[in-house]
Amino acid sequence: MSARYGMVIDLDRCTGCGACMVACAVENNVPALPARATDRTGLTPMLVHKVSNGVEGSDRREVFIPVACMHCANETPCVSVCPQQAVEVDKSTGIVMQIPQRCLGCRYCMTACPYHARYFNWWDPSWPPGMEKSLNPGVATRMRGVVEKCNLCHARLHTAMEKAAAAGKKEIDMADYVPACVEACPTNAILFGNLANPGDPASVAAHAPDTFRLLARLGTEPKTYYKSSQAWVRALAERSPSGQPTEAQHV
Amino acid sequence: MKVSRRDLLLGTAGLTAGIFFTPVPWKVLDDVSIWTQNWPWIPQPPRGPVTTKLASCTLCSSGCAMRVRMAAGFPVGISGAALHPLTKGALCPLGFAAYQLNWHPARLSEVRHRGHAASWEEARAAFEKATSEGPLAIVDGRSGRAASAVLQSFAAKHNSSYEAVRNAEEKSLFPYAKWSGIPVSSLGYDLENARTIVSFGAPLLDGWGIPGRFTHLWCERAASQSDPPLRLIQIEPTLSRTAAGAWRWVPVCQSTEALLAASLAKVLLDEHLVPAPGPVPPLPLTDAARQTGMTPTAIRELAYTMVERRPTLVIDADENPAIVALNVLLGSVGTPGGIVKKAVHPSSMPPARAADTTLRAILLDSTVPWEFVPPSGAEVFRFASWDGGGNRADWLLPTPGFLEESTDLPTPPTSAVAVYGISPNLLTASAPVKTAAEFLQQVDSTLPTVDQTIHARCKEIFRARRGSVHSEKQSPVASFESAAKLEEALRSGGVWLDEWTPAFPLKCSLKEWPTDNPTHSPLNWASAWVPPVMPTLAAKLYRESSLREPPQRSQS
Repeated sequence: MSARYGMVIDLDRCTGCGACMVACAVENNVPALPARATDRTGLTPMLVHKVSNGVEGSDRREVFIPVACMHCANETPCVSVCPQQAVEVDKSTGIVMQIPQRCLGCRYCMTACPYHARYFNWWDPSWPPGMEKSLNPGVATRMRGVVEKCNLCHARLHTAMEKAAAAGKKEIDMADYVPACVEACPTNAILFGNLANPGDPASVAAHAPDTFRLLARLGTEPKTYYKSSQAWVRALAERSPSGQPTEAQHV
Repeated sequence: MKVSRRDLLLGTAGLTAGIFFTPVPWKVLDDVSIWTQNWPWIPQPPRGPVTTKLASCTLCSSGCAMRVRMAAGFPVGISGAALHPLTKGALCPLGFAAYQLNWHPARLSEVRHRGHAASWEEARAAFEKATSEGPLAIVDGRSGRAASAVLQSFAAKHNSSYEAVRNAEEKSLFPYAKWSGIPVSSLGYDLENARTIVSFGAPLLDGWGIPGRFTHLWCERAASQSDPPLRLIQIEPTLSRTAAGAWRWVPVCQSTEALLAASLAKVLLDEHLVPAPGPVPPLPLTDAARQTGMTPTAIRELAYTMVERRPTLVIDADENPAIVALNVLLGSVGTPGGIVKKAVHPSSMPPARAADTTLRAILLDSTVPWEFVPPSGAEVFRFASWDGGGNRADWLLPTPGFLEESTDLPTPPTSAVAVYGISPNLLTASAPVKTAAEFLQQVDSTLPTVDQTIHARCKEIFRARRGSVHSEKQSPVASFESAAKLEEALRSGGVWLDEWTPAFPLKCSLKEWPTDNPTHSPLNWASAWVPPVMPTLAAKLYRESSLREPPQRSQS
């Protein structure tokens, strides 16, 4: 049976600490970039945005929204525009895969992505001398001139599949496949699982009240769900994100 | 067969056209693409067997348990280990990338004397000379460790003073220590049993105390609930991360928190909301309201909310007695859900003596924050793993980096129960490094070693037969055959947790309402970070996103 991996992020629990961002970068051998790198020229496959209800004073409210690739299931925008077939949807997992070897760096996919979840490698990856010994051996480094994004820690999926195969199983144990951001979250705000399995806790949470998806009206069927008890946060879901923190209207 | 020029051209054209119907050009293109991903200057990850080891983070006093993934003998990934009874698998963002610090460009690899390379022998000779010539001070940034015992022994033997630098969380317990006469190292916050927590600017959801301890409680009992079992009231001028996640955020004017605390005390006493009488702050409510930016009604409502669900625990970001006195008034001292006394504290230290201003020399341990400014005039021997710049020391002495030193982890300052762990050294330093304790042992060979102190502490825990060791499974101390076995379990990444004893006597009394003494040094995981530099990937938090304001430290 094909899986459909996705996540449900409880925004009421997110404290905006940024542990998911750092853990993601470490796991995927994302380099630190020159000091002139910004939130658009940097490489942050997982980026936490701070948004507010736009009210000043004691009624002001703020939440943090972690945004990574949504792994759109329908008419995946980045797949549609890639001239190199460097972006593929893995039918067995639902993961939208970026294949850096095929990417020629045209950045059409970045333009097409409604979530701004793709990043261009503006600089050669470099680490201070000796630090390459601390790179994750499961993930290859990418060079300058290609686009990068979240691939739901594909190396961890492969490790889980190898373990399942060694045990003679066809299906992986979900306990063996936990993306780095999910593992790092100190408040367990991110729930990861197989959305195609109705009994999976993530699947159950995705269909619970108060859940929503960003820009759901586009019909791309993103596999990242969000949860919030606050109406103004849910109303933000249909707004297009900008590079800057969003100041929404009070709802 | 005669081959004409025409045949040759036709054959060449046919071959050229035909080759595109074979996999050859696509394979060549693919290989070229892969080759271009493997330029010799693109760093390649190490190859080798992958193992996972348990350890504890040693970069602040919290001692968060972690699993370290090792490949070819080097750490390649860190994740939190849920076995720790207090940290519960949480790590601060910097902890995930901490192992990269060992290769940080600012890493110290040689002894430096006023900017020039020197040797350990020269440093030792200079220190011995300074010791013989005049008063000496030894400053420790994380007292209670086995290494601290070595530093303290040296100070006692050589007529020197031993001074402990306390962080803001520990300082916030100072007033209780003063009022009760109990050492600050024996006091802690019983967050787990509180039902209302009133925080005056303490960054409870941003790493305050022990990252994971309060956030875990908040997740279980407060987050996304309109009427939660645990109420967090955050009193702070700005909407911080903690205020954003609080049940109620009370904005007040800057630096008027103590004034608000006094007016809350006045309402509590005047309207008999607290059982025992106490000194009434001499301040009209209307004046306090005007200065804090609140209304008298809002202050009264806040006071009523504070006592609606008890126990109520007040936490200050610093050591302002005018704020923490509210706990005395609320009866939250020496009771569950308040300020409590720890039952056993194997690493308790006597109070530190203040350093003499006419010192001949001063030795700073690597745990002392880089921002610490030693008294002028003294020759400064600074142990550090990284050079934070600023030339604040005459001697810079390189110490082991992250996971390069086996060290014990005493109870974190805010914990309500005693904890003890030992972090193993998983790496070997690539340069000749020494800890301050090793350096002093070379100067005076009669000092106890760190290992001897750790053995003694493990024996003490074993003899007391209290609590349990939390490792892959939980084992009561009584189930261990010997102290050596207990130590082995701790050295493998286990953590000892004492039994919870709520009824230890602790009494504080106030004769008059304390005066406001603000120092304002709120502490979160970034400001509690001892090294003068940040992990390389911390740039993701500060430069490559707009998530946080950059700290005043080097980020690359």
